[in-house]
Amino acid sequence: MMENLVYIALFAPLVSSLFAAMFGMSQRKTFVGVIASLLLFTSFVASATLAVEVFTTGEAIAVTMMQWIGMGDLYIPFGFVVDQVSVTMMTMVSLISTIVHVYSIGYMDHDKSFNRFFSYLSAFVFSMMVLVMSDNFAGLFIGWEGVGVCSWLLIGFWYHKPDQSREDNPSISPSWAANEAFIMNRIADLGMLVGLFILYWNVGSLQYDAVFAAIPNLDQWILNGAAIALFIGAMGKSAQFPLHTWLTDAMEGPTPVSALIHAATMVTAGVFLVIRANPLFAVTPEVSYFIAALGTFVAFFAASMALVNRDLKRIIAFSTLSQLGYMFAAAGLGAYWIALFHLVAHAFFKALLFLGAGNVMHAMHDELDIFKMGGLKKVMRPTYIYMGLASLTLAGIFPLAGFFSKDAIIETAFNEGTYILWIMLVVTAGMTAFYSFRQVFLTFHGTERYDHHEIHPHEMYKFVLIAMSPLAILAVIAGFFKGGFETFVTSLLPAYHMSEHTHHYVWLLTAIVTLFAVGGILLAYLKYNKGLERNEKLENSFIYKLLANQYYIPRLYEEMISKPYAMISEKFWHGVDLKIVDRTVDGIAHFLYRSGDVNRRMQTGNLSHYLNWMAVGAVVLMVAAAVTAMIG
Amino acid sequence: MDYILSILVFFPAIAALLGFVIDKDSARVYGITVAAIEFFLSLWLWFSFDGSNAGMQFVELIPVIPDFGVNYYLGVDGISLFIILMTTMMTLIGIMSLSVKENVKNMIITLLFLEMTMVGVFVSLDAIIFYLFWELSLVPMLYIIGAWGGSLRVYAAVKFFLYTFAGSLIMLVGMLFMAYTYQSLTGVWSFALTDWYALVLPVSYQMWLFAAFFIGFAIKVPMFPFHTWLPYAHGQAPTIGSVILAAVLLKMGTYGFVRFSLPLFPDAAVIWITPIAVLSIIMIIYTAMVAYAQKDMKQVIAYSSVSHMGIVMLGIFAMNAEGIGGSVFQMLSHGIVSGALFMLVGVIYDRRHTKMMDEFGGIAAVMPKYAVIFGIMLVASVGLPLTIGFVGEFLVLIGFYQVSPIMTILAGTSIIIGSVYMLSLFKKSFFGPVTKEENRNLKDLDAKETWSLVPLVAIVVWLGIYPKPILDPIDNSVKAMLNFMDEKAITQEAKDMIHVAKSTKEAK
Repeated sequence: MMENLVYIALFAPLVSSLFAAMFGMSQRKTFVGVIASLLLFTSFVASATLAVEVFTTGEAIAVTMMQWIGMGDLYIPFGFVVDQVSVTMMTMVSLISTIVHVYSIGYMDHDKSFNRFFSYLSAFVFSMMVLVMSDNFAGLFIGWEGVGVCSWLLIGFWYHKPDQSREDNPSISPSWAANEAFIMNRIADLGMLVGLFILYWNVGSLQYDAVFAAIPNLDQWILNGAAIALFIGAMGKSAQFPLHTWLTDAMEGPTPVSALIHAATMVTAGVFLVIRANPLFAVTPEVSYFIAALGTFVAFFAASMALVNRDLKRIIAFSTLSQLGYMFAAAGLGAYWIALFHLVAHAFFKALLFLGAGNVMHAMHDELDIFKMGGLKKVMRPTYIYMGLASLTLAGIFPLAGFFSKDAIIETAFNEGTYILWIMLVVTAGMTAFYSFRQVFLTFHGTERYDHHEIHPHEMYKFVLIAMSPLAILAVIAGFFKGGFETFVTSLLPAYHMSEHTHHYVWLLTAIVTLFAVGGILLAYLKYNKGLERNEKLENSFIYKLLANQYYIPRLYEEMISKPYAMISEKFWHGVDLKIVDRTVDGIAHFLYRSGDVNRRMQTGNLSHYLNWMAVGAVVLMVAAAVTAMIG
Repeated sequence: MDYILSILVFFPAIAALLGFVIDKDSARVYGITVAAIEFFLSLWLWFSFDGSNAGMQFVELIPVIPDFGVNYYLGVDGISLFIILMTTMMTLIGIMSLSVKENVKNMIITLLFLEMTMVGVFVSLDAIIFYLFWELSLVPMLYIIGAWGGSLRVYAAVKFFLYTFAGSLIMLVGMLFMAYTYQSLTGVWSFALTDWYALVLPVSYQMWLFAAFFIGFAIKVPMFPFHTWLPYAHGQAPTIGSVILAAVLLKMGTYGFVRFSLPLFPDAAVIWITPIAVLSIIMIIYTAMVAYAQKDMKQVIAYSSVSHMGIVMLGIFAMNAEGIGGSVFQMLSHGIVSGALFMLVGVIYDRRHTKMMDEFGGIAAVMPKYAVIFGIMLVASVGLPLTIGFVGEFLVLIGFYQVSPIMTILAGTSIIIGSVYMLSLFKKSFFGPVTKEENRNLKDLDAKETWSLVPLVAIVVWLGIYPKPILDPIDNSVKAMLNFMDEKAITQEAKDMIHVAKSTKEAK
């Protein structure tokens, strides 16, 4: 019974994808979206039932479907495990996917590739389910690459758009952004593969339980190597510095994609990996500390870029990046369950935020520049409420979900005595509040800065707004389940408790974080509530330009990596392959050619005759061989 | 069926001879029928093949020149079985998708002869017979490139012929010397591979012989720096020529390494690991970069072939079952995927008579079916899990990691730079707005093209998800070979390097 539920949860999205693919090249059909959503809902129901089952019994459900690869001593099955961690992810992924599917019926309304979109979207969910459910590293890698390809397909969904210059569009074009995302992830995937190789040759298996059981017997340097390699993989999917540029460019994809893939689920895969492999990271303190430090840096770094950005979706993307940093900080400090809690809470409010942004884009005819918006709350009240709520949660205001999850991470940093990380995370919390509300105020409050003749903003369809409501409810109440969540997941993950010392200061700590958050919101209110006042001097300052250009990193990559790579490739082809390697070969041949008498005939002879004779010769030889064989 | 291998070898040849009297207009149907029968025969071979038996099966041995130990000696094991299947399948699909308009009859006859030589190479267990088929295979391909090729076809065909011919002559010298050594050590002449296997040679002999075979095989693979004939051959060959060349002819080289070099000269092979690995890594990285610089779609695929063959070479010299087995599987997957990619390039060439990427752009919107199939082959080519391309590449890399982590990481960059050139090809040709007026009304895949490509797509997915039926027999034969090599090796270094699978040890 439970086994069937596992398969239903896993394969319903695949069925949905294949079903939609059957209509991939035909006219837009609403029922494709409806059936896809229903199948996703089925997957959600199965996942939720499994969650209840795991919760009540406290035992994991493991199934092995069949063998995948067997060679030498390597044996990889298609095996799935539904335990506290994976079932949490499954429920979260399938729930948000269902909502995003329903949302897309409305959002992709006028798109002629409506059916194709659902096919890709469901394929993504299937890959994500494989990723979280697998009971071995190779299976995780299947999902890992699967979500990568789906992300490529979906970022480049509007592939017909032409390339633009970086000034006109920082992402250049959807197809460019898609390739960037794929290739950058591939760089990290190599790290991940190396991690798999290390584990295989030292453990003899890639099954989670076998690997974790073998950890006490492994040398420290092997453990460190494996942990570093796996984390490099995680850095790609979760867009950690320096592999972060693809995430903001990925905003070229349709907004439901940004909500599902580039906010709630796929980008958290890296965090999930660290949580999943916690027995490994727990015994590699240096690597873990590096993870925490890098996470904190990324949290701050991404938030700084969000401060000045004008693009609605990019601001949210930066905030995603920043929140991923928080998650890594928690995981790196050993608070795995807190990382997982923030992952889930973040998925709810960030998906809500993105879907809200989708509503705004829908209303504004795909305008993304918040400097050209304003006053939208009059016409889009529900969306305003949703986005406001999500932003409050993101800012970490009591009693919303973000308060509980983010505060716990900041507290962890304090508890571990890593005060520098703590200060950075607190400051980042203030920045987060500021940029979130800068965006809310510029979009919804103040004067209307768009062209009234061309744009007539209108609210999204009712059913779409209703579909978004579960996210809003969860963003509000998820925090209250923190205690229950902790008991549930810490039966698998290591428990993490704050020390007495931290307990002593907990009110003070909370007060400081809240002060920063409220301060950030107030600052945004004072600056942007009335409307936009451009400050030329500030906008031309070095710092502002540096942030607005993402520290010039994309440009640096282009100048230092892409262009030299193309140039060297070109040199290799013309300079080496044609001029040196091939010419040497031809040189030797010509030398022999000129010195040979027999070959001279080839210069004057009729080639087609020559070829014909050769063919005849071959036949004769073959017949002769055959005949001899018969007689002999 | 005791003579199934002989039938497999000579049926296409006899059919080709009969083909001379077939009417021109029915040549296509005739060709498809013959190739289909041949394919079903090879399927039959697979079904009657005992997967748990690691040794040679369906052995046929007829003495030809008894005084010199030359025998008509055929056999098949888990390593060659699937390459034969792939050969017959790609020939069938190649003929099905044939888009050549002139001299169709001659083309069919040539292809059937070619099929004989290819199957012959993979079933031969006698060096002389092997060599005969090996050389004979050049002739039909020379003819295909020279008669149906592009504007530079003469140059390309002659280059292909002379280059590979020169290599195989050196290989022949090696074979003769091997037989001579055998004679001087045992007192009798023999060209039978199984006899040669039993011969334990001093390391210095092994080194020289390895080198001689190496030249012949390496040019065929083609290994860097012997690869420059390939881009010309692909550039000028008609689609069918490229398909067969990439899918099957290149595999002869890597197959040769597995069949001859490793078991005959285990000590020399171990000494050669590092130089070959270095060449393979150069092949992987350098040709992938050259592929990225190409402007012609077909040349991208041609150079990518070289890059992928680098992976195959690397795996062979991993000296463990994971690596060698992965290589054999990668030969199959590369055959199918690159064959399909060449067919796909042929599709667009038939419509526009150009293969230049800047002539296209936005094709995905005009030819959606074509784009989907191209996309599937693309992800298989970059080694996406659950496609055929992943299994071999993964096994090779995991296998070679045991030999050298650093070199594995260098070779592993293949997954990055492989996606760089493939995705850039896809973006340039398929994405973006439709810029050229001529491309606006291109016809999507017709029935013939669809039905040639769909089976390949099915196989790419099937063997990506469930490679077990193929992997198991390969695994058995490879393990047996490694075990044999380990026992045969005379130096301690070689014994240390050759990694006998734990499961084999336990079975003993």
